[in-house]
Amino acid sequence: MARLTPVAVLSLAAGLGATWLGVRGVGAVPPLGALLSPAVGLWINTTGDLPAEASAKIPGLTDGVEIRYDARSVPHIFAKTDLDAVRALGYVVARDRLFQLELQSRAGEGTLTELVGDVALPADQETRHLGMPRAAEAHMTAMDTTGMLYGILRAYAEGINAYRSSLSTAQLPVEYKLLQKTPREWLPVHSMHLLNRMGYTLAHSPLELDLLQARALVGDSAARAFWDTSSPVQEPIQPAPRTSPREALAALPAPGAPDSAAVRAVAALGTHTGPLFWARDAALPAGQRADVQQERAFASNNWAVSPSRSANGLALLAGDPHLELTLPSIWYEVHLVVPGVMDVGGVTIPGLPGVTIGYTRSFAWSFTNTGADVMDFWRETVNDVARPTTYELDGAQQPLEARVEQYRNKAGQVIATDTVYFTHRGPMQKQGSEWLSMRWTVLEAGTELLGFYQGLRSATAEGFLDSLATYYKAPAQNMIVADTAGTIAIRSTGLHPIRANRGRGTEILDGRTRANDWMGFRSVAQYPQSVRPAQGYLASANQEPIDPQLDSLYLGTDPHYEIWRGLQINRLLRADSSMTTDKMRQFHTNPGSVRADRLAPALVAAAKARIAQGDTSRSLASAEAILSKWDRRYTRDNTGARLFETTLGRVVTLLWDEFIPAGKDAAVVRPSESRLLQLVADSGSTWWDDRRTAGVREDRDMLLSRALVAAYDTLVVDFGDPAKTPWTWGTVSPAKPRHVLRLDGFSAPDTPIDGGRGTLNPSVGSRFANFGASWRMVVEMAAQPRIMGVYPGGQSGNPASPRYLDRLAMWGNGQLDSVRTPRTPADLSPRDIRATLLLTR
Amino acid sequence: MSKTPLFITALVLQVAAQALGGVWGAAVGGLLIGLALRQKGAFRIGFGAAAVAAALLLAMVAIRGGNVPAFAGMLGANFKVPASVILLMTLLLPALQAGGIAGGVARLLRRSA
Repeated sequence: MARLTPVAVLSLAAGLGATWLGVRGVGAVPPLGALLSPAVGLWINTTGDLPAEASAKIPGLTDGVEIRYDARSVPHIFAKTDLDAVRALGYVVARDRLFQLELQSRAGEGTLTELVGDVALPADQETRHLGMPRAAEAHMTAMDTTGMLYGILRAYAEGINAYRSSLSTAQLPVEYKLLQKTPREWLPVHSMHLLNRMGYTLAHSPLELDLLQARALVGDSAARAFWDTSSPVQEPIQPAPRTSPREALAALPAPGAPDSAAVRAVAALGTHTGPLFWARDAALPAGQRADVQQERAFASNNWAVSPSRSANGLALLAGDPHLELTLPSIWYEVHLVVPGVMDVGGVTIPGLPGVTIGYTRSFAWSFTNTGADVMDFWRETVNDVARPTTYELDGAQQPLEARVEQYRNKAGQVIATDTVYFTHRGPMQKQGSEWLSMRWTVLEAGTELLGFYQGLRSATAEGFLDSLATYYKAPAQNMIVADTAGTIAIRSTGLHPIRANRGRGTEILDGRTRANDWMGFRSVAQYPQSVRPAQGYLASANQEPIDPQLDSLYLGTDPHYEIWRGLQINRLLRADSSMTTDKMRQFHTNPGSVRADRLAPALVAAAKARIAQGDTSRSLASAEAILSKWDRRYTRDNTGARLFETTLGRVVTLLWDEFIPAGKDAAVVRPSESRLLQLVADSGSTWWDDRRTAGVREDRDMLLSRALVAAYDTLVVDFGDPAKTPWTWGTVSPAKPRHVLRLDGFSAPDTPIDGGRGTLNPSVGSRFANFGASWRMVVEMAAQPRIMGVYPGGQSGNPASPRYLDRLAMWGNGQLDSVRTPRTPADLSPRDIRATLLLTR
Repeated sequence: MSKTPLFITALVLQVAAQALGGVWGAAVGGLLIGLALRQKGAFRIGFGAAAVAAALLLAMVAIRGGNVPAFAGMLGANFKVPASVILLMTLLLPALQAGGIAGGVARLLRRSA
């Protein structure tokens, strides 16, 4: 008979309680028993990484596929048909990046809450309010299911799903175990979601509100001089017939009286939510928003050199797209060989069935973002402000399309519901008291993959660019190519809207008339471009693609992109007519800075002038001494960059007081840093006056010196006396790739680097942003192209894998690895083979 | 009966149960130990067998190439605790499960002296 003693009860309570805790978790404590079980929990993920020999089945394969992973863990896929190669690509990407695949596609679909929980609701709402999932679904519905594009998407899904279905619960990636989820089936539409997500990352920059806010504070003329005027320094992507940058450092108009219409418009647009804002910025204090946007806008570099300017007479190409540094990396390195059809390698984005940046036997290519204005807004007049059903257009009421969006949590329960409206232009959202509709080229894209697949069959740089120009719509990219025949070429490819009346996309337009709609898009002939340039080199770094003196049709550039990297690359290329791949490798982490070269002397001169006038501040003298000695290079061991950076931060805080609204303590908008060049040349400009200091009218030297002193004093507090503890750059500004779920334990350690803001290696690992060179590649276009590359992280997405971070040190040191390009499986030497995978039906 | 054979039997049972059933395996193993023993000392045997079984399975992970200490450090960083706490929890949780259930069941169904 059972004896229910206190000891028995206590003992059972302990056992059952531990089991409950282990299986279900309590509150914020996850189910530790399941996670920590050595047999089926997280520990098992430390084993079985890339077995030396393996085989698997993919039901849709038409023939066997042999895959050899080389010593760098790059899978070389040898297939007999292109669709089999795509199936294998899906399989190998899933094998290393299954969780990332789902996370990224859900980000573009607006269903992150179903994977990670309620915390992702604002991001999902923004995605759906932008109309991204609707656009992807519409593309799939309209797609010819017997066509090449659908075939590619379906083949890729077959490969991913074959791997997914082979996994036991114990073999699931660690993130699924932590989130207590299982991988979902991959559908062709998920690739379209991911494509939209890339559009969001690269071509979502609503700037209309910046101009409005500026007009509301300093008047129309002054605001437009900052936000609606081309860069004061022009060294465009399409080379101009000059041997140096064109500078137009005209004096800026003085701040004027607020524009009353803009004041009313800003008031109507109200709160900091809606289509004119990024959802992830909504929680930021207004004063930090400008900093964060600036930190994110690090964009990319690419350049190419003609045989006439290379040491060995071969065309050279380099590229380093700057994106968020995540673990696993956004890139996955692959090589696909289908004899007689394609032989292509490079990096793919998990979820997109193709090589995004890479090489063939004939050419190599890389991209940078154009930053073109491809998103415009119209103020709509609706029949019912609370529950609109129609909108006014050309004197008649037009029905709105309403789409009900439901958001579900991890358990599948609905946690929120809202309605998204659509006009003929695109999604319509409430911003303050206004209804704004939007047109965005990203929502009209979807055929880009065909451009790549057709382009890979080309043998020339021009052929590849022409194929992409036919199919590639968004996000617009500066596509640079070099081929084995010695051609180098670049073209800013993608849909570039032409506005009504040759207008600019900087205003919110009246939506009541179709006359304000886009009139069409630039023709390919109107794209900024260059083939075999006379100067012998091409470079893009997100600067304006074409000098507005040569083409005045509005293209629009993201003002957060600065001119400095473009100037620096051109300076380096111009100075050397005997270029080599190793010099180009070094360019990737070149610590030189046009920004510092132009602005640091101004700071030193201002300090010297103030000291000569009797300023006895010891901080000013010490700061001046540090900056005077600084070589203006962002090497990791230099001790001047920190002071320069902090000082520039102080300068903009002191300088742009005109953009601080009444009753606020921080500027709501901030002009591009390149405008400092205009101001530095104008020592008495009224912009230098800090209106917050009553009775004092600051000039250039006074304000710059004040910023220097404030920066110096701050750094002394933060880092100590520089004479005793030098402010070493590498320790204060390291790169730090973060895990995609922001898990500290799965993130990379701080990695000191050469580089900083305005340099060619502008990595930043701040509280808000973590950007940098996500892939570096240098290619020498010999008869057999020689490729070198690296990215921060590793091929495996498994944090427990030795292949998770194995490339980080090489990336941090600015080195490149030699990329293998076997034509057949036998071309890889046995000691260069890490693993083999055979795929059969 | 000597305690050593009992412990070894319980240990084999726990290794198999945890290997096959993970967190549920440790609980079921504890139940079986309690049912089989129905005497004083079941808690200690269940606790010890489950902890050693977890340690053996963890050692197996290491033998198969898993870098257990490094991964414990990663997991610890995610939960803001030292690696040693993760390792301790890995052993302690199944031990508490098995020991508690074994001890409780043995007490409830204790054989008469």
